[in-house]
Amino acid sequence: MERNLTHIALFAALIAILGLVPKIDLAGGVPITAQSLGIMLCGTVLGAKRGALAVLLFLALVVLGLPLLSGGRGGLGVFTGPSVGYLVGFPLAAFTAGWVVERTTLPLGIAATAGAVIGGIGVLYLFGIPGMALVLGKSLPEAAFLGMAFLPGDLIKAVLAGLITRGLAQMRPGSVLSRA
Amino acid sequence: MLTLTSPIETPLHRLPAGAKLAALCVTTVALFALTSPLALGTALAVVAALYLANGRAFALQGLRLLRPLWPFVLVVALWHLWTGALADGAATLMRMIAAVAAANLVTLTTRLSDLMAVLERLTAPLARLGLSPRTLSLAVALVIRFVPVLLDRQARLSEAWSARSPRRPGWRLLVPATLATLDDADRVAEALRARGGIG
Amino acid sequence: MGQSGILIEGLGYEVPGRRILSGLSAHLTERRIGIVGRNGSGKTTLLRLIAGLIAPTQGTIEVEGMNPAGDRKAMLARLGILFQNPDHQIIFPTVLEEISFGLAQLGHPRPEAETRARAVLAAHGRAHWEGARVETLSQGQRQVLCLLSVLAMQPATILLDEPFAALDLPTRARLHRLFDALPQRLVTITHDPATLEDADRILWLEDGQLVADGPAPEILPLFRTEMARIGAADADTDLPH
Repeated sequence: MERNLTHIALFAALIAILGLVPKIDLAGGVPITAQSLGIMLCGTVLGAKRGALAVLLFLALVVLGLPLLSGGRGGLGVFTGPSVGYLVGFPLAAFTAGWVVERTTLPLGIAATAGAVIGGIGVLYLFGIPGMALVLGKSLPEAAFLGMAFLPGDLIKAVLAGLITRGLAQMRPGSVLSRA
Repeated sequence: MLTLTSPIETPLHRLPAGAKLAALCVTTVALFALTSPLALGTALAVVAALYLANGRAFALQGLRLLRPLWPFVLVVALWHLWTGALADGAATLMRMIAAVAAANLVTLTTRLSDLMAVLERLTAPLARLGLSPRTLSLAVALVIRFVPVLLDRQARLSEAWSARSPRRPGWRLLVPATLATLDDADRVAEALRARGGIG
Repeated sequence: MGQSGILIEGLGYEVPGRRILSGLSAHLTERRIGIVGRNGSGKTTLLRLIAGLIAPTQGTIEVEGMNPAGDRKAMLARLGILFQNPDHQIIFPTVLEEISFGLAQLGHPRPEAETRARAVLAAHGRAHWEGARVETLSQGQRQVLCLLSVLAMQPATILLDEPFAALDLPTRARLHRLFDALPQRLVTITHDPATLEDADRILWLEDGQLVADGPAPEILPLFRTEMARIGAADADTDLPH
């Protein structure tokens, strides 16, 4: 019981710091913000339920006025702005990613990447793009066109989520709770 | 951890959080129902007036919170300049800025503890599922407590990386970082149990 | 061209609102150097400045004639750092990958990096560690792994930040013997003078300033006496800045 709470709370903190630390470098020297990667890891490492709760807790803190979104953003304004769909989609994305890892018997790295693609792109964009459409006054196809700008980065992050999740299991078998 | 609540005291700070949130909901829905640039321009002017009524410093704080919107403002502006639908573009921009600024106004004038109280009231029905208000505030406290701890550790891991690599840290650094976070969770759970648990 | 060793002149470091180090000057050429002081005296900051992880806000520092914060790649080949907690240093799951990391980052192709890594293991009688998973190593063994990862890069100077802090006494003794046998210049930061009895030179930092500088037999007793005095007198109720 306590362990569930602390895993959820500490991973919410992890999402927060991944928005605060300097960007992660990719092989080619291209920097990426790690925060959405952290959201995927909540799902792939903690599993669907705890992963989603960790993200929800993180969002609650943003609502409470803490500037924890990457770039130091926070407060209620982010929920009435163009990213609102993505914010709403984050916990569902983490849930989906965790669900894929928990329910499939694919090798962990592949399952985590698949989960991150289905959840972190599929489900996330399902909410993110209509949200952008609404706030930016665009049609769904138009908003989808804008949203595609994030696709390459998100695909890379999905692969990294798989590598990191697999790396955790390699470093310490049994540490990945979604497969424990 | 510093919240976005403004240290500049305004009359709005004294209004109950629940009332402000309700007003914000109504305002947001109304903003998205309006379509005429005139109506939206008026709404934006009202929001701006609410900021300016509390002084220049306060209004500047509000302006700073709007800064992350600039890429979207740019995209919409360029888009509508290209298609020639200028009235629509103006309406969209004014609506977006008004909605975000109104929401930020609530954030700037409401303390975390007051918002926390509202959150606890709203989630009270979930107590049957195991989410008591006490658990929620404990969870919030844990996150706030551990953000600096995790930041510090990330800094040390980054240093250890920089001690052996001229490049900026790569994704690999997140493996020991996540593992250490899992260990922290285990240790804090133990500490909680030792103090009577969360029931 | 600069002088050999570590040359510090008027070194200072401050962050907004706080002065952490000020007015440090010394030319360190000895083989075994210790930096002692209480927690918060600025020792770790000094180590970071020597390592080039941060740049001074005042004064200059040169290591083997180079600015450590400037040419990072060159510095990495000459200076290694061992931190206190191996779990905050080890990045890879296996011993071979961990040791090869630094070499690969310096530009050695993977096979060559691995060959060198194996050589370092063998040189320390640990060739059988090659395929081991880090998780199976004890704390002391992990600290040795971190040391071997540093040695693989063949630095001329190694900085050690409280290397014994998390280890039990027998492990400390073993690690100490290992350090003693190293040909490199070692600069050890610690708050525990027991590990520096055979140092050639001790620098004592207090509140960001150099209060004493000399051979170990001379400085350490003074340090011990002062620490005992502070411990007996201070109630330590003041909040840090």
